[in-house]
Amino acid sequence: MKIWKRTLLAALVAATAAGAALAHHSFASEFDASKKLKLTGTVTKVQWRNPHTYFFVDVKGQDGEIHNWAMELGSPNVLMRRGWTRDSLKIGDQITVEGSRARDNSYKGNANSVVMADGKRLFNGSADENEGKY
Amino acid sequence: MRMSRDAKSFVRSSGACLAILSALLVIPGYAAAPAPGAAPPPRAGAPARAGAPAKPSKPTPHLPDGTVDLGGNGSWSLGWITNYERQLLDTPPGVDNVPFLPWSKAMYDYVQKTQNAYDPEGFCLPPGGPRAFGTPYPAEFLQQKDRIIVIFEGGAHVWREIHMDGRKHPTGSKLNPTYFGHSVGHWEGDTLVIDTVGYNERTWLGFNGFLHTDDLHTVERITRPNYDTLRYEVTIDDPGAYSKPWRMGWNIRWSEGQELQEYICQEENQFLIDLKDDFGKPFFQATETE
Repeated sequence: MKIWKRTLLAALVAATAAGAALAHHSFASEFDASKKLKLTGTVTKVQWRNPHTYFFVDVKGQDGEIHNWAMELGSPNVLMRRGWTRDSLKIGDQITVEGSRARDNSYKGNANSVVMADGKRLFNGSADENEGKY
Repeated sequence: MRMSRDAKSFVRSSGACLAILSALLVIPGYAAAPAPGAAPPPRAGAPARAGAPAKPSKPTPHLPDGTVDLGGNGSWSLGWITNYERQLLDTPPGVDNVPFLPWSKAMYDYVQKTQNAYDPEGFCLPPGGPRAFGTPYPAEFLQQKDRIIVIFEGGAHVWREIHMDGRKHPTGSKLNPTYFGHSVGHWEGDTLVIDTVGYNERTWLGFNGFLHTDDLHTVERITRPNYDTLRYEVTIDDPGAYSKPWRMGWNIRWSEGQELQEYICQEENQFLIDLKDDFGKPFFQATETE
């Protein structure tokens, strides 16, 4: 029961934190929430920067070609609050990332979460909103 | 509509002209403020929280001089409000109840059509007064005898100064149009009342494109009904953009122990590099640096 409560709490924290993840520009103008992504590949570069951290992943496409995807995360202040550090993603890491693809269908996306090779999941969040409900 | 920099300047200039014209044609009025000490009304159309009953909060803290303490060991977790039309007070939620003038409604429609792509915050510009309280990330109030400083981690990592020493607003050319305007405040019981004029026209009142002119006058009423809640309400009075004053309001959550961090939006704004105009061309021309 305790574990269940802890899991629920973690999920709630992640969901609540998601609201501020993409709080700099319009999500809809750049990404399409209906174009879901789930990519597995190798991290080739990490840019731990404001206003958005980016990481790049080599992913083998259905065409057999390797494509280098640019994935957007929140800013370092947000990621730090969610348990990330600048070393969370390193070049060479094997990861699976879930998120939404860019509207222009380029090899770019907004990451919701990243699962590391050891199964650890780090949340970024999507562009959902805080409606002043609190 | 191509939103080049020239076009943006045109929009701003047009807005300024409309503001002057409207100021001549419209007699401004002010919304009646709630009675001093009155409990903050709930947000219009606010959905009830389903599930577990609300966690009891500690009572409102006060400073030794009796005024409300807006601080503590933590900070206020500002949300990213993207549905300002649902935060209306006095009327049911919905954009139809915002008293737009034709030009401000046209710009609202344009913002919807362009999916907020030209939001000033996307350019890392400051959010302005009211929207600063609907823009992440956390904020802190520093209360001094003669002024209150609000530090915003987000927006453009900015702060805002509220003069509490009884001074008046500057007038004429001494009033410099700025992102946050000139703010004077006073306490009405446990309510901090902030009167602000002198806004520039480079901010939106909300993510969804509530534009305004430099005629904008806001009256913000801030309360802390309990330890964990900040209630924010604002009266928007801008005869250059709206036919009558109107109000918005929302609640902000306290996060115990949460400290401010650095957030420099301007560092590497990839969004601008990729931003296209309405014809699909780069919004900014690429420049080469050594």
